[in-house]
Amino acid sequence: MDMVGSARVSDKSPAPIPGPIVRLRDVTKSYGTGAAKTSVLRGVSFDVDRGEFVALVGQSGSGKSTLLNIIGGLDQPDSGEVEVLGVDTVSSTDTRRAQIRNQSIGFVFQAFNLLDHLTVLGNVVLPASFARGTSDVEGRGREALRRVGLSDFAGRRPGELSGGQKQRVAIARALFNAPALLLCDEPTGNLDSETGKEVIDFFRELNAKDGVTLLIVTHERRVSSVARRVIAMRDGMLVETSDEALAAAHGGGPT
Amino acid sequence: MMPAGNLARMVAGNTLRSRRHFVLSAFGIVIGIATFVVFLASTEQVGAVLEKIFPVEQVQVVAPRASLLGKDISKKLDDSIVEKIRSRPEVDRADPTAVVPRMSLAFPAFGRGDFEGNDLKFEVGGFADGIKPEFVNDDDRTRELFKDWDGMKDDPRRQACAPPPRDPQEEVIQSPRARPTDRPADPLAYYNPCPQPDRYYCDEIDRTCHHRVPVVMSPTMIEIYNGQFAKSHGLPIADVDFVRFVTQRGGLNAMRFSVGLGLTTVAGSNASISRRKVRRVEAVLVGISNKAMPIGMTMPIQYIQRWNREFLGDEAATAYSSIIVRLKDRNRIAVFSQWLQDDLDLRLEDSLGEKFATALFVIRLVLVLISLVIIAISSINIAHNFFMQVTERRRELGLLRAVGATQNDVLLVVLGEAALIGLIGGVLGLLVGIGISAAVDWGSLHYLPRFPYKPTSWFHFKWWIVAGGLVCSTGFSVLGGYLPARRASTMEPAQALTQN
Repeated sequence: MDMVGSARVSDKSPAPIPGPIVRLRDVTKSYGTGAAKTSVLRGVSFDVDRGEFVALVGQSGSGKSTLLNIIGGLDQPDSGEVEVLGVDTVSSTDTRRAQIRNQSIGFVFQAFNLLDHLTVLGNVVLPASFARGTSDVEGRGREALRRVGLSDFAGRRPGELSGGQKQRVAIARALFNAPALLLCDEPTGNLDSETGKEVIDFFRELNAKDGVTLLIVTHERRVSSVARRVIAMRDGMLVETSDEALAAAHGGGPT
Repeated sequence: MMPAGNLARMVAGNTLRSRRHFVLSAFGIVIGIATFVVFLASTEQVGAVLEKIFPVEQVQVVAPRASLLGKDISKKLDDSIVEKIRSRPEVDRADPTAVVPRMSLAFPAFGRGDFEGNDLKFEVGGFADGIKPEFVNDDDRTRELFKDWDGMKDDPRRQACAPPPRDPQEEVIQSPRARPTDRPADPLAYYNPCPQPDRYYCDEIDRTCHHRVPVVMSPTMIEIYNGQFAKSHGLPIADVDFVRFVTQRGGLNAMRFSVGLGLTTVAGSNASISRRKVRRVEAVLVGISNKAMPIGMTMPIQYIQRWNREFLGDEAATAYSSIIVRLKDRNRIAVFSQWLQDDLDLRLEDSLGEKFATALFVIRLVLVLISLVIIAISSINIAHNFFMQVTERRRELGLLRAVGATQNDVLLVVLGEAALIGLIGGVLGLLVGIGISAAVDWGSLHYLPRFPYKPTSWFHFKWWIVAGGLVCSTGFSVLGGYLPARRASTMEPAQALTQN
């Protein structure tokens, strides 16, 4: 994979936010009711500073994806405080949360989540559909594709691409609005090791050169190994990040 | 909220990408709207035809019949009553044609004409009335000719002439022809000696030339002629453009006929009319008018007044047979009717048109309800399809939320898709409806026999029917899509994105 360039996709720079870019305090979340009630998060607290590269590791069911969704405003906690880019996303309106997702947060999912009826370029510029006053949408979309090495694929359909190419399209979409925060949920989970490595290298470069804050949920040690900070979770709680704990958190997954 | 242009593009793309979903959702709407517009357009057209036969916008004031010891003591409709009616708030005083008094020919009369070589005899008494000429202004010809010519004493063509000899075999002779110009005249024949023989004839009483009595007939008469009389007598069908029809037949000369005042086709003469009074005048059909009596003929009221006075006396020349009133608002008919009854001891003639209009209204209501039920069922079908769609597209909708769509954006996208399906379904339904109506009209033209008032089209697609169809299709579709759209918008994006 040839992911090139470090120029920002957009000239738009997020306004400087004092303090951490993500701030969580005593966040709890449970699903179900009565006897079937399952606590997924049990009082999670941590901060992520601007420009950090954080890996969130843990076994399946440890609550890391739920936590990522709560940070991204895709889910709401039962209790606790969540601040993203200085905005209290628990008490803010749906519109405000959507605005933050649109302008300041990029999502990369394990399953890519590309829309098959759109072209590659159409998928990349999808966030522009929900923003007002956007300009040169196509140019910015093509620039995002150039960055992930898919300039020649703009008119293709996702069905014509390999898994690695699909994930690169998803990354281009996440980068389209030059987000301050990139939230990735098992971004290499569906990729072979070589392609996965290229994706991780791209993330590292993105963090190092563009200062994009990355929070990656992963099983894979090779991903967490490149992160500047690793937060491990077990049973809905943060655990210490010793090598043993990390090994347990990775659950013997791919390294 | 997302920009309208983006919303429109997304809605159009989503709607057109799934043909199966589109067909399943739009099918019911197409059928529903097709029936909706066809029913409305047909009842609209039938209503228009009925209004032509029975003008429902006007009412007819009559005096109830009453007699005492064999003497007619009915209330007399005269000019004072006309003025009282004209001053009512229900009547538009500024409109001179809002109150039209009519006077019937109150004694027997016998008509005889020669039309296309056919010797036509018909009853005029009871089938003729008069109205003021200024009320009849349907076209240039009627405006020029529908006048009280006998009242114009200074008419320069009123010159002395020799009337046709009486025929002892015929009580009423045919109107004599003009002297031929294209062949030698018959030295023994009598020819109309008057100038402009297509309009003037020689009167047998004062032996001077008179303009023929101008007569107008109603469209109903033309329909009856075309539908029954013309066919049974092998006569030509009267053109919708009556002036052209008359011109093709040789002008006004072909429309002239004799009227035997005081005679009847039934008994040949009437015992109550003195034989000395019986005389012949000539009339000419000058046009077609909605103001004419439906079955019969109408002439300037001055002729009727003079003849009624001549044959029956002064009272018959001042009493109107009815007064036609056009109300400003038909909803005030009850108030007007009550006033007539209480203050003037008069009543409104039972209007067949009103009964037909009521029946038609009920029929229209039932048909519209049926089509609305079909559309409502299609709306439920749309709801069902959209619920399936929303479930199938959970991951897609979750992604839209992840990249910045608000709940309202998702709601609008799904509702927009429903609206577009409704709109396209509505347009297709309209086209299907128009196609059905064209097929029915074609069948009617080729297979239905001609009958009075048979319309050239059984449908009238007025703008509000088309607009109503589209509004209904879109509205019901949006209604059907609302609950699925609500579900889509309130879906937790995190859960939606994890759907397999």
